[in-house]
Amino acid sequence: MEIKKIEYSKINEELFMYEHESGLKAFVIPKKGYSKKHAAFATYYGSVNNKFIAPYENDITSVPDGIAHFLEHKLFEQKDGSVMDKFSMTGASPNAYTSFTHTVYLFSCTDKFDENFDMLLDYVQNPYITEESVEKEKGIIGQEIRMYEDDPNWRAFFNLLGAFYKEHPVRIDIAGTVESISKINRDNLLKCYNTFYHPSNMVIVVVGDVDPEETLNKVAEGIKSTEHKPEIKRIFPESHKGINKDYVEQNLSVSIPIFQMGFKDELQGEKGFDSLKREVVIKLLLEMIVGRSSSLYNELYEEGLINSSFDSDYTIEEDYAFSMIGGESAEPLKVKNKILEEIKSLKSKGLDKKNFDRIRNAMRGRFIKQLNSVEKISHLFIPAYFKGSIMFDYFDVYDKITFEYANEVFLKHFDEDNFALSVIKPIKGD
Amino acid sequence: MDYKSSEEKVDIIDSFNGIEVYKVMVDKFKTNSINIFFQDNLSKENATKNALVPAVLRRGTKKHKTFKDIALYLEELYGASFDCAVNKKGEYQLIQFYIDHVSDKYTGSDTNLFEDCTNLLLEVITEPLVENGAFKKDYLEQEKENLKKIIEGRMNDKVQYAVERCFEEMCKGEPFEIYENGSIEDLNKIQEADLFNHYKYILESLPMKVFISGDVDDSKIQSAIAKLKNLKRGNIKGLSQPIINKPKKDTNFVTEKLDVSQGKLSIGFRTNTASHDKDYYSLVVCNSILGGGIHSKLFQNVREKESLAYYAFSRLEKFKGLMMISCGIEVSNKDKAYNLILKQLEEIRQGNISDYEYDSSIKSIKTGLESLKDSQLAIVDFYLSQKISNTSDTLKSLYEKFEAVTRDEIVKASQKVEIDTVYFLSSENQ
Repeated sequence: MEIKKIEYSKINEELFMYEHESGLKAFVIPKKGYSKKHAAFATYYGSVNNKFIAPYENDITSVPDGIAHFLEHKLFEQKDGSVMDKFSMTGASPNAYTSFTHTVYLFSCTDKFDENFDMLLDYVQNPYITEESVEKEKGIIGQEIRMYEDDPNWRAFFNLLGAFYKEHPVRIDIAGTVESISKINRDNLLKCYNTFYHPSNMVIVVVGDVDPEETLNKVAEGIKSTEHKPEIKRIFPESHKGINKDYVEQNLSVSIPIFQMGFKDELQGEKGFDSLKREVVIKLLLEMIVGRSSSLYNELYEEGLINSSFDSDYTIEEDYAFSMIGGESAEPLKVKNKILEEIKSLKSKGLDKKNFDRIRNAMRGRFIKQLNSVEKISHLFIPAYFKGSIMFDYFDVYDKITFEYANEVFLKHFDEDNFALSVIKPIKGD
Repeated sequence: MDYKSSEEKVDIIDSFNGIEVYKVMVDKFKTNSINIFFQDNLSKENATKNALVPAVLRRGTKKHKTFKDIALYLEELYGASFDCAVNKKGEYQLIQFYIDHVSDKYTGSDTNLFEDCTNLLLEVITEPLVENGAFKKDYLEQEKENLKKIIEGRMNDKVQYAVERCFEEMCKGEPFEIYENGSIEDLNKIQEADLFNHYKYILESLPMKVFISGDVDDSKIQSAIAKLKNLKRGNIKGLSQPIINKPKKDTNFVTEKLDVSQGKLSIGFRTNTASHDKDYYSLVVCNSILGGGIHSKLFQNVREKESLAYYAFSRLEKFKGLMMISCGIEVSNKDKAYNLILKQLEEIRQGNISDYEYDSSIKSIKTGLESLKDSQLAIVDFYLSQKISNTSDTLKSLYEKFEAVTRDEIVKASQKVEIDTVYFLSSENQ
């Protein structure tokens, strides 16, 4: 078997890679001296993949909302009980999470890595789903959904996505609704599993003080399928220009309005390195406009319109992208107006190159800080990989983005026609 | 990639004027950090002022007059992060000043970040922006308003709120009931001159613990110590010991209604075991078996078998000798969940502990301890906690003690645990 090694000397990291004949790639990032060994087995399948044409079929399959997340819960079930119990016996912490675009099965341990890694490879490739266990899980996931219904930050976020997108499934809560999960059964779970859990649609990432060769050998032995599978056709609604609506509000039991606002991004089909570039440059622009060193942040803060919960972010995937600015404020509309005014004024004045350079350096430093954590590395690596990049490439992105590129993206992304505001308001009389 | 050692080592390197300086030597991280803690008794008289002082201090110094100036400077220091916080450990309130930065080897230029960051942190603490012999009026007023919003905003995170409210109801009349950010009633009373005098009192009288963490040269540490020796200190306040054992009273039932989707049941217990008691180690294993993870009785029964909850955990507040069980459930399942939870504790009291539960708990505790070594902040917090509870365990000695805990000792610890308060967050329409 062939193992490729890539050195990233500037950040003192290295990466080992192996490609299995099925098309699955596996990566090891050794972290010498670390106690925790973190392994993840992930599939490029998340909550947005609710319509697809399965390999060897012609018809479109539509599945209930929340099914990717439901499947994540059910994979832990094995013929002889829950695989969680087996991990517990070695002292490992198993876990899993589902995002819009991918599902990740992971464990971290400080002991008996080989045994745990074998288990991870084994259970993710061998679903054991019974109708009875599906019904039982509906109660548990129902409570997970309820918990998020009471979470004002979560609701502000999804309401904003609903304002951006009229039809795109990214507007739907990852766990679905109590009503939508009632339609989930063994058959549609297995259909999703068989479509998306083929090794060619998956990746393995191990971070920690492990022997790269031994670990990658285990992958070579542990992956069952050897055939490449034909491509899965993922169906998304036509992308519309513009947004669904520019304002949405909901009342919840909160002490102060909580808001998320931002711009839906009109994508130019960025992939791989270009997608990372766009992500970094928009995050940098957000820092320049509303970051802690910006005049606007300080003005808003001094006027009592925002507090230290105020923050910004940007998300980009193959089929959707958006920026977000969120926090708590007695007057979210005032915050919105000031932000839009500031953007207008920056568009006429032009951006400041000194700010651009300084913030770029700071972001580079913050990126390096994240390499302290095995979880963080795994967490960043997986989405970057599914977008066609290696996470350590971010470091080069900081060198590659120019001030001219930042200006160009600034004029395009921060377009008032694509702006929406979502507010969670206190319930009167609460 | 040679590392000197993976074994974290924490040494007290100096002690003077009520200031203890600790060095955490780890060279596997890409960052260094400095943490300064001031420790006070939790008291109604000081809690709000202790929370307000750091909030005002972080707004500006003589040299960096505004929040913006500080933020700009942090960006110039390659994205160094600085913040302040107040925490509560048992009946102590801790005021924390924190800064971290990337190691000089990643800046690509000739930098001296440790010294710059230490100077900034000390500048924030010792050289505030003063007008007319007190804090700048605007800053004080704005931060009073912010703190008011933080106190009012406790209800926004329902999971945390249900835990804190239960503790509050349980410890009425004891210092532990005081919220680490104080109260609105006390906040309204604070005058400018008061707060500035209180700030001077903090600086002169409260015991301080300083943790320097990372790969820092001794000469740099010595110059940081020299600066700490210049702090003007007076009589150092003697701190009181928390009260652990309370005479048993009838169980207290509290229900609160808010407009929520999910009910939250929190049950507070007195463990009657202090963190320096020899029984403490058995109590930790007992808590792990009861609700300390996926191997626990609560997870296995409340979630997996009965599908009543998505989360159900038990936690120890070791400094005050309390245990808290909390879960999110359908409001109509309150009694069912309550009975099932108490039954799990009863099982332990009866000695019904399976090999799986016993082994998994010990191993999970070990993994947790080993994992602390991978986070600079977690190592600092671990040793700070040791100092606060007057114990001198290392990770290694602690693990040996947990491993030696027998089933009989677990049963004995569980029999000392007494139920105190049952708090239920219910929905309006019940």
